Amino acid sequence: MEGKGKQMNHSYYGEYGGQYISEALMNTLYELETAFQDAIKDPLFLQEYHYYLKEYVGRETPLYLAGRLSEEYGCKIYLKREDLNHTGAHKINNVIGQILLAKRMGKKKVIAETGAGQHGVATATGAALFNMECTVYMGTEDIERQHLNVMRMEMLGAKVVGVRSGSNTLKDATNEAIRTWARTAEDTFYIIGSAVGPHPYPKMVKEFQKIISVEAKRQFLEKEQRLPDVVMACVGGGSNSIGMFAEFIEDKEVELIGVEAAGMGVSSGKHAAAMAAGKPGILHGMKSYLLQDEDGNVKLAHSISAGLDYPGVGPEHAFLHDTKRVKYVSVTDQEAMEALSILCKMEGIIPAIESSHALAYAFKKAKSMKKNQAMIVCLSGRGDKDAATIESYFNGEGYLN
Amino acid sequence: MNRIEEKLERLKKEQKKAFITYMAAGLPDMEGCAALIKAQEEAGTDILELGIPFSDPVADGPVIQEASYQSILKGTNLKKVFDLVEKVRSEGVNVPIVFMMYFNTIAAYGLAAFVSKCATAGIDGLIVPDLPYEEQGQLNKILDKIEDAPILIQLVSPVSKQRIPMLLQHARGFVYCVSSMGVTGQDAKFHKDILSYLEKVKSVSKIPVMMGFGIRTAKDIEPMKESIDGCIVGSYFCTLLAQNHYSVDVAKEYISLFKKEMNGVE
Repeated sequence: MEGKGKQMNHSYYGEYGGQYISEALMNTLYELETAFQDAIKDPLFLQEYHYYLKEYVGRETPLYLAGRLSEEYGCKIYLKREDLNHTGAHKINNVIGQILLAKRMGKKKVIAETGAGQHGVATATGAALFNMECTVYMGTEDIERQHLNVMRMEMLGAKVVGVRSGSNTLKDATNEAIRTWARTAEDTFYIIGSAVGPHPYPKMVKEFQKIISVEAKRQFLEKEQRLPDVVMACVGGGSNSIGMFAEFIEDKEVELIGVEAAGMGVSSGKHAAAMAAGKPGILHGMKSYLLQDEDGNVKLAHSISAGLDYPGVGPEHAFLHDTKRVKYVSVTDQEAMEALSILCKMEGIIPAIESSHALAYAFKKAKSMKKNQAMIVCLSGRGDKDAATIESYFNGEGYLN
Repeated sequence: MNRIEEKLERLKKEQKKAFITYMAAGLPDMEGCAALIKAQEEAGTDILELGIPFSDPVADGPVIQEASYQSILKGTNLKKVFDLVEKVRSEGVNVPIVFMMYFNTIAAYGLAAFVSKCATAGIDGLIVPDLPYEEQGQLNKILDKIEDAPILIQLVSPVSKQRIPMLLQHARGFVYCVSSMGVTGQDAKFHKDILSYLEKVKSVSKIPVMMGFGIRTAKDIEPMKESIDGCIVGSYFCTLLAQNHYSVDVAKEYISLFKKEMNGVE
């Protein structure tokens, strides 16, 4: 099998996905896939993964019925509290999985890209936990708006490398991480945080994030003895959303909604809504929807939320979009910030700006729902990291972008 | 016959090694770029690589990233580079020309339209670093159908190992052996197993073997001269051009000297 090629259709979701990456990394991807397939069939590996999720991450996370919100918007609104995970977001679920895989493959060094810094913090945390050397690539623009997370990563012993090219955000950090990976793959494991990248990364990220919907489905069944009517999550690269959707994809009666960042409005051109305004293209090792100009150059994404500020989207989302299993919508910076404020004041929860995009659409969607209907919104992260952005936004100073 | 194959056959008969240069298309501007193409042919470049700028060149190091960026700022796109090649071909330039580009640029142009245009414009080869063997099927189907379509050059890396026979089974033109892990332009710090790797490729390959990434002078390739049929200079050549205001004389001088040192006095 090794290196024989031609058996790669399993690397696709419909026409999306694939392995658009340099020859130097093809053996690495093959080894990774073999190790991954092997690991997820190994009860000991799964036992260790679930051990750390429970004892270290603090899972399971609550499925919280937001009482005041439900009252206000006229249907049951459940929040899947990924913000209560150790390190403050869903990102750690995937990091624990991938870093255990790295350990299993005998790697001693890990690298990661980060946008909001949540994946970087999670990776730095995992690296400290398993005594690995960690380098995180982060756009200089994001370093500014997520300074707190930079500090956290450094405290955790990681080296943060500022990337100054292109838009100085997640896309560029990913470019640099891929370049470093190509140079160092012989001893370094690249921990990708979004459901993007060449196969098997999107599959792997989904596998390690699906715990969100495995729990949520069980919790919802326990509370309501039925399935939810609507499940929604924000979509940047698409990791929390694919994890939130995974267990519900086969349940056709559940409406799935992914919320992209419309930035200053899709018509303004300043947004990160790859599926609303992009077309299929190739970036970061995958074929998927991509914001690009007529020459195929990637356009700068824009979102107030660093975690959604990405011009592409995971390939499975592209497929779920085309097959209409998931409805993808978008909300603006302003709508997200309003939703953020509402959650703070009505439920005493400060959400990440990323997650606030899902909330904003949830509030809109609730208006068309009946009182006995229920939705689950993935509250992917907490908003502490966004304090500076939130402050400058509400002080009317605009924001750093 | 394809210009690359023709040229390499002739060099083989003359027992000479090939010298391949890379430059970013559109720098310093289209006119200057045309002048540089002509100058390089005159100075004896055997095959000329033209880099088509792309916003996210993940296979490239800082030098070519910067060149790509500068070229985009000047408004270079694939269509304009086709115009450039058609112009220099009509003015008598006959050196084999290879496009080095990323797959999204091709996809955005349209695969079939792209290949047809390459055939009529006189593009002889393609190097697409983010299109590994497993993903080449769709493009190959079109390349096979169109007459005078360019050759898709196969890249081999120091860690390709057991993949080498597969990569080379249908390879044409030349094999592009990447000298180190990672991206273009890393100062002649070749992979630790460079010799055994090149020998392995040489033993499997039915076509000429070229080495690229990190080469600056003929001295850099001296230790592996027996295992290769030529070499590619990219980042260093780009830096040289940028530092000398894209002087055609500097380009010519560099190429002549490199060839002389590599092949002995001509």
